[in-house]
Amino acid sequence: MRLFWLKIGLMVSYLVAGTLSALALDGAMLIVNPGVVTDSLSAKELKDIYTAKTKYWDDGQAIIIVVIPDKTDAALEQASGMDGNQFKTFWERLAFSGRGSEPERAGDTAALVAFVASTKGAIALVPADAALAGVKQIKIK
Amino acid sequence: MKIILTRQCMLLASPVALMVCRLQAADLNLLGTNMPPLDFHGFVSQGFLATTKYNYLGNDTKDGSFQFTEAGLNVSMNPLPRTRIEAQGFLYDVGESGKYQPFLDYASIEYTFNDYLGLRGGRIRRPQGIYNDIQDVDLARTYVLLPQGIYDARSRDFSVSLDGGEVFGNLPLSNAGALSYEAYAGYINVGTDSGVADRINNSLPVGKVTSFDPMLIAGSQLWWNTPVDGLRFGTAFGYGFNFDYNLNLPTGYPPPDPSSVSLHASSHITLQQYSAEYLWENWTFQAEYYNIQNNQHTTSPAGTTPSFVVNYAWYAAAAYRFNKWLEVGGYYTEYYADQPMTFGSDTSQKDAALSFRFDPKPWWVIKLEGHYIRGTALLDDNADNPVRNDNGWFMLMLKTTVSF
Repeated sequence: MRLFWLKIGLMVSYLVAGTLSALALDGAMLIVNPGVVTDSLSAKELKDIYTAKTKYWDDGQAIIIVVIPDKTDAALEQASGMDGNQFKTFWERLAFSGRGSEPERAGDTAALVAFVASTKGAIALVPADAALAGVKQIKIK
Repeated sequence: MKIILTRQCMLLASPVALMVCRLQAADLNLLGTNMPPLDFHGFVSQGFLATTKYNYLGNDTKDGSFQFTEAGLNVSMNPLPRTRIEAQGFLYDVGESGKYQPFLDYASIEYTFNDYLGLRGGRIRRPQGIYNDIQDVDLARTYVLLPQGIYDARSRDFSVSLDGGEVFGNLPLSNAGALSYEAYAGYINVGTDSGVADRINNSLPVGKVTSFDPMLIAGSQLWWNTPVDGLRFGTAFGYGFNFDYNLNLPTGYPPPDPSSVSLHASSHITLQQYSAEYLWENWTFQAEYYNIQNNQHTTSPAGTTPSFVVNYAWYAAAAYRFNKWLEVGGYYTEYYADQPMTFGSDTSQKDAALSFRFDPKPWWVIKLEGHYIRGTALLDDNADNPVRNDNGWFMLMLKTTVSF
């Protein structure tokens, strides 16, 4: 019996440790509108944004998440803890129950960068080789 | 039938018009002002269901029925820092409920002080378990039909929204994850054309509901988001202070006796729900337990009759997503009508469901679902099912949703 609970404890420790490890965004970087008042985010702060726990920047500006389907799925999963479909369903639940706004979708990288550049409070994961103009890159602490 | 088909054609055409609206609304600066942009979203769902042996969720499902429609259009904006306004119009038709009558589903304003505390007021959706506040949003789940002992599609106008307010927030628990909470209070207003009125009328041998009083309800939903990604546990509690309504029953007596008699029913309702959900890789696991207690006093000219009824339900579900366009899931659920954990064909209902969800496009969902059901406790006890003597029966469902 003790061995059973020891195994359970080890499994939980492993799972918890996995969630606390440093965040690396595979093949992507994080950008925001230049008006956003922060220059860096911790992995937890980024996850809180992508899971709707944090909906506003420190100055009260609404956070607008922008996604580009298929091109940053791995990084999106690392940031949110959900794969692309789970992430979509999660935000649809919020949007249709009056508890949040669905992330905006961009058709390609250039459109995504342009949208972030022109939209107050916007944040997005973009492919690491994207040409950036008019946006601010955010460091993950 | 012709009228219904025409309405369905209009519903199916409406997303096209709505998508056009969205293109114009994406960065809408009204009348050249700096008004914040409006964010529009909407969906239309149309289903088909066919049953063997009994009519379920409608009065003609043994012949196949298209009376399974939902449509919603919502808009939101952030007019001021930390402030959000949102509203949604909705209509539905499920059997005898809804009847395509559009209504204001929610319309609220919220202010978020910080991650820990926010306020929302107006007509709001009532949180309860995994699905209550989104039970009519087909695209946000694997299944066509949610476990009906908990999320009865015919009672959505009673269970989903309330006029009042709530506090909400998210409290970090260091390495133990986070606790999100919502606590609400307000009034639920239903009319004599509501789904819950149909349910009561169908349970009566004769007569019908003539009026409802607004019901004051208060409750909460807590979620513990564990440190394990995707794993959360929830508990919901609600108390309805006064579910009161009036009934008129014909007596069948000749004059000078009264031809009908009026009754008044007054209830205190207590509900509890416990939930667990785990998103693990391509899997989604869910389980919930629910019970609702109805402590009722019915007053007639002959006096007052008390009654106490408890309904129980639970389910366990698992779904696996194979790729972007295919997800397969199933659940098993049981419902008991005031007979805790004992099986009787008309006091319980057990349902095993298998569902296939196809996502051919991000904005288009198609679902195919089969049910094997034992028991008839959730059937309407009326002329649609005059004899209920066979436990095992089947239901086939097909549904499609377009959204933007």
